Amino acid sequence: MKLKLDKKNFEDFLKSLMEEYDLYAPVQPVEGVSVFKKIEQPSEVNLTQLVPQKPAKDIFFPQSEVMFCYEMAGKQSRMNSMEEIKRERILFGARPCDIEAISIIEKIFVGEEYTDVYFLEKRRKTTIIGLGCNHPLSTCFCSSAGGDPFLRAGSDLFFIDLGETYFVELLTEKGAALRKNRFFKEVDPNDLTLVKELEGKAFEKVGYSIPVEGIEKRLDLMTESSFWDRVHEKCIGCAVCTYLCPTCHCFDMVDEALNNKGQRVRNWDSCLFPIYSLETSGHNPRPTGRERTRQRLMHKFNYFPKNFGRVACVGCGRCILYCPVQFDIREALLYASAKRAKGLKRKFR
Amino acid sequence: MKNPYLPIPMILKKAQIETSDRLLRTLELGFKNKEDEESFRFIPGQFCELSILGKGEAPLGIASSPTEKGFLKFTVNKAGVVTTALHHIEEGSEIGIRGPLGNGYPINLFEGKNLLVIGGGFAFTTLRSLVAYFLHPEHRAKVKEITVIYGARMPGLLLYKDELLEWERRNDLKLVTTVDWEDKDWKGKVGLVPNVLEEIAPSSENTSAVICGPPIMIKFTFPKLMALRFPNERIFTSLERRMKCGIGKCGRCNIGHLYVCKDGPVFSYAQLSKLPKDY
Amino acid sequence: MAMIQKKLREKTKELLAKKEVDLVIGFSDWTLPLRTTPIFIRTPEGAEHLVWNSFCENNLAAYLHKFSRLKVGVVVKGCDARSVVALNLEKRFPNHPPLLIGVVCQRLVDRKKVKKAVKGEILQAVEQGDLLLVKGENFEVSLKRDDFLYPSCQSCTHRTPHQAHILIGDPVEEVSLVETHPEVGEFERKSPEERWDFFEKETSRCLRCYACREACPMCYCGECFVDSSRPKWIEKSLSPSDLAFYHIVRAYHQTGRCSGCGACERACPMDIRLTYLTQKLNQEVKDLYGFETGIQPEAAPPLSTFDPEDQQGFIK
Ligand SMILES: Cc1cc2nc3c(=O)[nH]c(=O)nc-3n(C[C@H](O)[C@H](O)[C@H](O)COP(=O)(O)OP(=O)(O)OC[C@H]3O[C@@H](n4cnc5c(N)ncnc54)[C@H](O)[C@@H]3O)c2cc1C
Ligand code: SF4
Ligand code: SF4
Ligand code: SF4
Ligand code: SF4
Ligand code: SF4
Ligand code: FES
Repeated sequence: MKLKLDKKNFEDFLKSLMEEYDLYAPVQPVEGVSVFKKIEQPSEVNLTQLVPQKPAKDIFFPQSEVMFCYEMAGKQSRMNSMEEIKRERILFGARPCDIEAISIIEKIFVGEEYTDVYFLEKRRKTTIIGLGCNHPLSTCFCSSAGGDPFLRAGSDLFFIDLGETYFVELLTEKGAALRKNRFFKEVDPNDLTLVKELEGKAFEKVGYSIPVEGIEKRLDLMTESSFWDRVHEKCIGCAVCTYLCPTCHCFDMVDEALNNKGQRVRNWDSCLFPIYSLETSGHNPRPTGRERTRQRLMHKFNYFPKNFGRVACVGCGRCILYCPVQFDIREALLYASAKRAKGLKRKFR
Repeated sequence: MKNPYLPIPMILKKAQIETSDRLLRTLELGFKNKEDEESFRFIPGQFCELSILGKGEAPLGIASSPTEKGFLKFTVNKAGVVTTALHHIEEGSEIGIRGPLGNGYPINLFEGKNLLVIGGGFAFTTLRSLVAYFLHPEHRAKVKEITVIYGARMPGLLLYKDELLEWERRNDLKLVTTVDWEDKDWKGKVGLVPNVLEEIAPSSENTSAVICGPPIMIKFTFPKLMALRFPNERIFTSLERRMKCGIGKCGRCNIGHLYVCKDGPVFSYAQLSKLPKDY
Repeated sequence: MAMIQKKLREKTKELLAKKEVDLVIGFSDWTLPLRTTPIFIRTPEGAEHLVWNSFCENNLAAYLHKFSRLKVGVVVKGCDARSVVALNLEKRFPNHPPLLIGVVCQRLVDRKKVKKAVKGEILQAVEQGDLLLVKGENFEVSLKRDDFLYPSCQSCTHRTPHQAHILIGDPVEEVSLVETHPEVGEFERKSPEERWDFFEKETSRCLRCYACREACPMCYCGECFVDSSRPKWIEKSLSPSDLAFYHIVRAYHQTGRCSGCGACERACPMDIRLTYLTQKLNQEVKDLYGFETGIQPEAAPPLSTFDPEDQQGFIK
């Protein structure tokens, strides 16, 4: 079903959502930095930054999350699991790449044998309102990575900015629950043409130039390639590109306790930290940046596709934008792919 | 839905120091709840995450055999935070466990064949489970000859000494123990495991080999197995990696597209030869 | 700057051709505007990729730990050279002290500031004399370069890397463009409560990605205190007290060792102010001990020495 929303009613619309749901959307704690957060006031919502630093995965798989609390009484203990979400949620203003990434994380967290209840509970109780990207950034390459700037998959509702209004599509049953919202109006045919136009422009801008297709096979042959000897050199081994990546899902589990009370907490972790794989004996199976960078790229473009049939990258460009040394994953892919290796214009830097 | 991160409560029934350096302690855990005991089904080679609230979790191989009912046994090397806490915890205390985790040894593949078990140091835990399983009257007929080569640096560092004595007396198992440095009472062999293997040269004919031990032992034993013409497909090992979730979610233990916690810890050399050397 | 770049390439080519070094670490342009990327050059031909401009923001001394077994030439600004001097004092490179290819720095452009000054994505940025020409899809502006400098660069008084083995560019008169580091000044004017609020507000965005730590040449500990489990000094989640603890200890570990290059702050993906703390501490060390990091190659850092004459007025 297709509807629209006048922008002058935008804040009232958000307020109406907040009556029944906890609302999560991008906010800017300082100019130039954007994160997804639970909204207290509709005016906080800030959609100016196309890709917020912290991706929407933070809403389903928070950077730091208490799994369960416990109390010890003598030799006995009592445990209280913390997965339950009391109120239904709405995630508003996530872009197609972030939403696609949530379904990627879902592939690993919701399994046949074991299911991550913390993720699933949040996923189930969240209605996702996606927002199309009229002006993709030069670092965006979603179309090459299996998505596109207006991909509806994964969204329950989808918004497209038409200037004065938002064009609104209800896509799923969950989305249809909002059908009766008093601020939605009928669309007119002009809007549909405008949507087509915007889509066309954005698709053209994003292009398909990054060789993600076929990369899995290519990398099969490259496990011990000298490529890895050089490609990692400038990486300083921080966690920017993995923490901020919407598809990265690695975590650490730690206990925090005082006296007889405590909690088991999980925190995002990164395969680029040496300590991530360091064993108690002192042995580290990935001793240098070479193995760690290989893990990051191979996991995204070879191991994950082997297990789940899709690369674990949605082309959001965060790892390019925020890397302190400009490690550009697109260039790594170009270089690794046969194309670049043949007509090598510039050395990998 | 079942929360796979929540430990089930166990009670430490009995604890015993295993080795002369006092760094290995065997814990016998009983189930606190009957339901948990009934639903806990495992095979040799699987492991559990042992949980000490306030300290964290550590993955430990199950040292008891599924044929030994009513308890689970673990042997813990005192290494870091959790394993040290497991050394200090008193009998009667509660310990959480999650498991059984991992694939375990390919019991079905072993059936109808000879079994060669090679262990070094304290990595003998799940091998003990495996041997005890096949020695059980119900399962003994499933495999043909069982040969066990087990080495440690010193006699005092061998695990499960009473049981080794008992195995020695049996005639349906060939046990060869070896140490790097003997003491005056030592009756077994003196020498490194790879050399002992070469010396007794078991036939690879219709035989599966399982090998667990420190990386250096594995490194030198593997070529000897190759020389004895064991095919890659019939050599198995149990790998260790730093672990957290134990269920293929936290990402940390992968080797190529496989996760040691979920797809392992037991792998054949044929499998490993196709993966990056991230171990 | 074009002259500097030319000389830099020539020198590098020569060093590699004569095999005086195995590797030169420098800057190159790459895919994003307003930025450069570290480059690792092993052949004389590779020198053609070197660039020099106001976007050479990394402190390349941070890479020296990785290559301590090679003979390395490294391109350094004034501040970076001081880091290497401090590292030499800490005996980091006993076998092959790095060869410093010093460039007289023209102060660096703060890319985050430039981004805030325009609407829309910047696709191209070039320097022309004192101007910075910035282009996007629907805009083109020229900005005054000096209005967009990093705080640490505005107050810099060591742009000439005198310590370098090879000096490229003419030494400049060392003056600060401002009275103090602008953010240190601002911080000092606050009341203790306001200071804490400011500190807490900044650190509250921290991800603990440790880009600031990894970007810093002085953060080379085999095991950082945040990673130690025995003893466990700090928890790993995002509670305000743990964030505060990380930031305070990081700053203190830099006291008398930090050259004020600002590489930590530039590395931070969350735009967290970091140099006001380290620069404030640098200022204190200068006031109390008359010491500045990496100026005199032989002077021991004040916090690792004791002198009965040391000022002790702050001990209450
Ligand atoms: C499948 C498998 C089976 C095993 N079987 C046995 C066995 O039968 N017997 C045996 O003795 N050992 C066994 N091990 C090894 C054993 O798991 C490790 O020795 C044990 O995990 C060490 O834990 P620790 O708490 O004592 O060590 P620590 O080094 O203190 O580590 C504590 C925990 O925290 C993690 N950790 C350490 N430092 C940090 C940090 N700074 N930040 C975050 N996390 C940190 C570790 O990964 C670990 O999860 C096995 C390992 C595996 C993978
Ligand atoms: S963000 Fe850049 S420097 Fe940091 S780990 Fe990723 S690639 Fe390396
Ligand atoms: S790898 Fe980079 S571009 Fe791809 S999804 Fe992750 S952050 Fe985005
Ligand atoms: S292994 Fe690395 S690349 Fe893969 S999900 Fe984890 S952090 Fe991301
Ligand atoms: S502090 Fe800034 S101006 Fe001074 S040398 Fe370093 S980069 Fe150049
Ligand atoms: S770089 Fe920024 S976000 Fe990362 S740890 Fe440092 S201050 Fe925190
Ligand atoms: S331990 Fe978490 S994935 Fe294996």
